[in-house]
Amino acid sequence: MKRGKIEHSYSDWQVFALTFLRVLIGWHFLYEGLVKIYTPGWTAKGYLLGSAGPFALLFKSMAQSEFILNLVDLFNEWGLVLIGLSLFIGLFSKPSKIIGIVLLSLYYLAYPPFPGLGENINVEGNYWIVNKNLIEIAALILLSVFPSSFVTGFDRFLTSAKKKEKYDKQKEILQT
Amino acid sequence: MNTVRRDFLKGIAAVPFLGYFAFAFKENINKEISAKSKNLYETLKIRQLDAPGAKLLPPTGNDGNRLRIGLVGNGWRGEQLLKSLGYVHPEFIKQNTVDGKFTKRLQDFLDQEDLNIEFAGVCDTFDVRVQRGVEISTGGLGPGGKTNTSAPAKVFPSYREMVDSDEIDAILIATPDHTHTQIAIAAAKAGKHVYLEKPMTHSIEEAVELKKVIKSTGVVFQLGHENRQQMSFKIARELYQKGVLGDVSIVQTFTNRNTVFGAWIRDDAFDHKLGNRDNIDWKEFLAGAPWHEFDRKRYFSWQRYSDYGTSVTGNDFSHRYDCVNQILELGIPETVVALGGQHYYKTHGDMPDVLSAVFHYPKRKLTMTYDCSLKNSIYRQSKILGSEASMDVDRAIMLYKDGNSERYADIQANPSDPMYYYEPNTGIDAISSATSQAYIKGGYGPTYIDGKVIDATLLHLKEWIDAIRGHGKTSCNIDVGFEEAVTFNLANLAYVNKKPVIWDSVNEKAIVG
Repeated sequence: MKRGKIEHSYSDWQVFALTFLRVLIGWHFLYEGLVKIYTPGWTAKGYLLGSAGPFALLFKSMAQSEFILNLVDLFNEWGLVLIGLSLFIGLFSKPSKIIGIVLLSLYYLAYPPFPGLGENINVEGNYWIVNKNLIEIAALILLSVFPSSFVTGFDRFLTSAKKKEKYDKQKEILQT
Repeated sequence: MNTVRRDFLKGIAAVPFLGYFAFAFKENINKEISAKSKNLYETLKIRQLDAPGAKLLPPTGNDGNRLRIGLVGNGWRGEQLLKSLGYVHPEFIKQNTVDGKFTKRLQDFLDQEDLNIEFAGVCDTFDVRVQRGVEISTGGLGPGGKTNTSAPAKVFPSYREMVDSDEIDAILIATPDHTHTQIAIAAAKAGKHVYLEKPMTHSIEEAVELKKVIKSTGVVFQLGHENRQQMSFKIARELYQKGVLGDVSIVQTFTNRNTVFGAWIRDDAFDHKLGNRDNIDWKEFLAGAPWHEFDRKRYFSWQRYSDYGTSVTGNDFSHRYDCVNQILELGIPETVVALGGQHYYKTHGDMPDVLSAVFHYPKRKLTMTYDCSLKNSIYRQSKILGSEASMDVDRAIMLYKDGNSERYADIQANPSDPMYYYEPNTGIDAISSATSQAYIKGGYGPTYIDGKVIDATLLHLKEWIDAIRGHGKTSCNIDVGFEEAVTFNLANLAYVNKKPVIWDSVNEKAIVG
């Protein structure tokens, strides 16, 4: 069997583990997005203005323009909700993971846990280079190379019959 | 059929979890959001905050009221004052023009308010600085699209000729502390308005005398504590007055520095290497101080010598004091004790580098403390400790509820997390040295008012100039200046005499012992 096809033959525990991780991240994104939508007058302005590190100027400049700030707010609120839903139910999982990685990278760069940047009111915990954002990025990368939505998600119904056939066939081969 | 069903169930495996999420999140999210976004005023239990809505006074200058300003003492600080007034050295313009384009720093300077003044005269005891002042007066570009290329500033041999000149309307004094009073008094008596750099006077006796003269002549006086313009202190004052802190029992102020420059040893800083016996008017510098042979150290590091300077208390505590004084209106303490010593920097002068002072205000039921180390550079905001909440204040404010507060008993905030946080966005350029970082953080740099970021020094000068033109009053007037001068001088007396010092407010005298 070719190595590239191994994902088509997960064990039940592997399917469970990958689905579990996908649902957890979906849950997190969805809740983050909904909190922002439900908070009256929520805006990323303060977060952007407080940005630290090598890209701080870029993030700060985003908050200076009303137009860009509105875009950022909208993208944050609905981006998070849609990515969350998508991961949760496993629909259009691949593009949403990629957008999720982009969003998380922006959060990471706005407050990079680099030494020498000092304390910041907008971040908690103790991190050096690696923080929770980076770990969630890594988890999404992992999930995009080991997808589970075509097994335990709505993507299953979108997957071409051919692909499914292939999967079933391989599973059969493995089981025999 | 069975396979299809199993297929379908697998595909929607995560949906029940989403169902639970949808079912339970509504209640949870409302709780979380109401906790997070609880109205700030409701939290602080005040009706509103007025200070942040303050408006800037529109420019008061016009063709008919151009003010002719003379500068006494064009040192480091003098040059900063000139920049706020709209005058910079051509070197600055050259350095900040890259490929015909202006840097942000230069553009910010050109965009600042034109106060409509003329830098008309300069004097200094150091020839190099006189020359530089003249160059600045014809520096070229200035705010408001004007060019400072007309007549160069007139050079006066000393402040005496300057205050007597009818070509000068008002003067800035940025000289060593021991000469403040004599220059300010001469100017006021000649009818010239006075902007005097801090600290106000070298002694309590001088403060008493200066107050008398300023009041009797009626000139417009501003002491150079530009932190009076800082928004955070105005907000802090309003918070205190509205009862947010409760009863204040302790006020803590600090100085922490750990560099030779920060310890005011500056023989070779800036352009001081150029100074020598021939280009320094030593006798004029000494003024009323005891005679001493020419000494570069004494001249350029004068802050460290009690003959000329006012110790760490005049150099730095006076700033911190004026910040908390404008918030709490403390005034002058009844009793002061101070202990410390000159333990580390022994090559220059007689200034302590470790000092702790306590100021007692029995009528206010509080003490204020001042801790200074010039061998440690930890950053500490001034702290105001109240029965309901504690406040860390510099250009930002952090307010912590007291663990046993009654006022905030219903607020769920952890006493170690601020329940109110204010920090203006001032988009400051990268700041190089530790001393200048502390300067900006301390609230002496830019501030935020009326939707704009403006340097506090410019606002402070503007307030003085507007008052001269009949608009408004100066905030750091002779009365609060008097409180500043007496308070830090009491600490100096306590340190030198190693005894408590009591303030006799009726006779305006310090009683040692």
